[in-house]
Amino acid sequence: MKKKWFAACAVVALIVSLTGPTLAHENTEGKPGEKTERSLAVDPQATVTLCVASGTLTVRGWDKSEIRVRSLDAAQIDFRRIDKTKDPAKPAARVDVMVLDKRSATPPRLDCQALASVEMEVPAGATVQVQTRDGDITISGVAGAYAGSQNGDIFIERATKLVEAGSVGGSIILKDSSGRVNLSSAGGGVEAINVRPGGPEDTFEVGTVTGDIQLERVSNPKVTAKTVNGALMMSGPLAKSGSYGLTNMTGNIILAMPADSSFQLNAKVSEKHDIISEFPLKYLSEPAPPAPAKTKPQPPAPKTPAPKGGGPVVAPIVVEKPAMTMPYILRRVTAVCGSGDAIISIASFGGAVRLKKI
Amino acid sequence: MTRCLDEGKLQSYFDGELPIDMMESVTSHLASCVTCAAAARELEEESALLTTAFAGEFEASVPTERLRQRIDEAVLGDRVAFAQSSQKSGGLAAFFSGLLNFGTQRALGYASLAIVLAIAGIFAIVKMRTTSEPANTAVNTTVPAPAASNQTNNTVAQATEKTSQPVPETVKLPTTLRPSHNNGVRAVPVKYTPAAPKPTPIKLLPGERSYLQTIAKLDSTIKSNKNSMRPALQVEYERNLAVVDRTIAATRSAAKSNPNDPDAADFMFAAYQSKVDLLNTIADARVGGGRGH
Repeated sequence: MKKKWFAACAVVALIVSLTGPTLAHENTEGKPGEKTERSLAVDPQATVTLCVASGTLTVRGWDKSEIRVRSLDAAQIDFRRIDKTKDPAKPAARVDVMVLDKRSATPPRLDCQALASVEMEVPAGATVQVQTRDGDITISGVAGAYAGSQNGDIFIERATKLVEAGSVGGSIILKDSSGRVNLSSAGGGVEAINVRPGGPEDTFEVGTVTGDIQLERVSNPKVTAKTVNGALMMSGPLAKSGSYGLTNMTGNIILAMPADSSFQLNAKVSEKHDIISEFPLKYLSEPAPPAPAKTKPQPPAPKTPAPKGGGPVVAPIVVEKPAMTMPYILRRVTAVCGSGDAIISIASFGGAVRLKKI
Repeated sequence: MTRCLDEGKLQSYFDGELPIDMMESVTSHLASCVTCAAAARELEEESALLTTAFAGEFEASVPTERLRQRIDEAVLGDRVAFAQSSQKSGGLAAFFSGLLNFGTQRALGYASLAIVLAIAGIFAIVKMRTTSEPANTAVNTTVPAPAASNQTNNTVAQATEKTSQPVPETVKLPTTLRPSHNNGVRAVPVKYTPAAPKPTPIKLLPGERSYLQTIAKLDSTIKSNKNSMRPALQVEYERNLAVVDRTIAATRSAAKSNPNDPDAADFMFAAYQSKVDLLNTIADARVGGGRGH
């Protein structure tokens, strides 16, 4: 009797476990504690946008020509086709994912106002555009990734064609990707590891205000890195005939390169700071900096007549207006290491430059 | 020197009253401290303003010695006259004789008081002259024709815009315009208020203006957004903005001291561009929520 009862329970459990995903695939209404999930067949190279006010966004590329979106916080998930030619026979090429969270069900919030964490699978060839205000963003295995977050961190890996990511206060990490890259963060740091170009025109641009920039094995032919107050570190082999423009204002710049690196260095640094190189540099020129501007000559002081009669005679005191500005002298260095294949242009207003061997 | 300079020390610095080593340390501190540099600039502008305003007084020679001699002579004459009159009158005058009994110290005290009063009188006369000049010009103004009126108004507007420059005497500055009976056109009364002295405007470096205009536009865009900035974003924005502003001040100072060095200016422009980028990011973040297509 016990065995029969156990077998019946097992069968019921099996049926429930099998029917669950099928229902979710079609569309599950969001009840508290339940996952809302929706799917849609799309073009393999579709463009998909996802936008919430707050919440963590996770996007993964897969080998199916459909997108699947699920969320625990969403009451409803909808797809809005924004193809130019809305041919219902063809799979969608441009899709907006509309998320309505449970709290905002009545009254419904406007687009991008949901407070919900969302997971999404998209075709590997798709381009995703995701945006959240507070949460973190994780994107992996897609062709193109546009990601924006105000205060959350952004992590992108295995993007194949292009990456554009921006954050105000969060950090950005890009790994094992290729194509054109543009990363910017005001207060967060930016780290890029193992990035390569997809084509000869694929540039790599990164900029921060106070965040540090760390580039490791970035082989795009043109790399531009700018920071105001952060440190700038770049390590790895240089691209042949590559162009590297590194600019900062107050932080240090450190370049760690293989010992056989060949480059031409064009550096502009403050005279107060050093350029320390472990590479044998052949200096081509170091032009003398222009003379600092002279302060305007003060007009002669008016002569005061000596007092007649008695009384102490005080010599006239001429008070010269002191110069307010300290001379800032810029040092320019042009040097070559090896045959000078890559061009490294460094401009540092108030930081040191160090070239290290790895 | 890491602490900020107090106003007294800054004033002494400008007055050249500090010892040489202290002057050097203050100079180096000013080069590294943006706050103190700003305070120094403000103080310098105030000093320049005062110097300009009182240039006439400073240049006018004060006849201290001669004045003192004359006052002494006058006081001595009074004493003699008083002594003579007291001898004649006696009585009540004897009561004041104690007050007017000039000892050496008292004589010096009265002389000093007289000098102070004389200087105050000179200041008052000069000030009355300077303030009465525009009024005099206005009184002599004739009613202009409409075209001339427009021209006059424009000229006045230009003159008031350029407050740092003295108003030329040829400019007609009517306080009120009487209605013109010649053509029946009612002249619009233009109320002239004497241009208040303002600090000398900061001279912009070449190419700086366009950045400042862009920054002003972006700033107004950010401020015009009715939604209040979220605290986290506000903090991040202000922290980064402060860093960028400090950098702009430092690079601007370098560019100003090296006017012939384009690279120094490039650093300044790069700093300005960083601010533009930051403001753009914040403006986008505040507007944010859209999908961007």
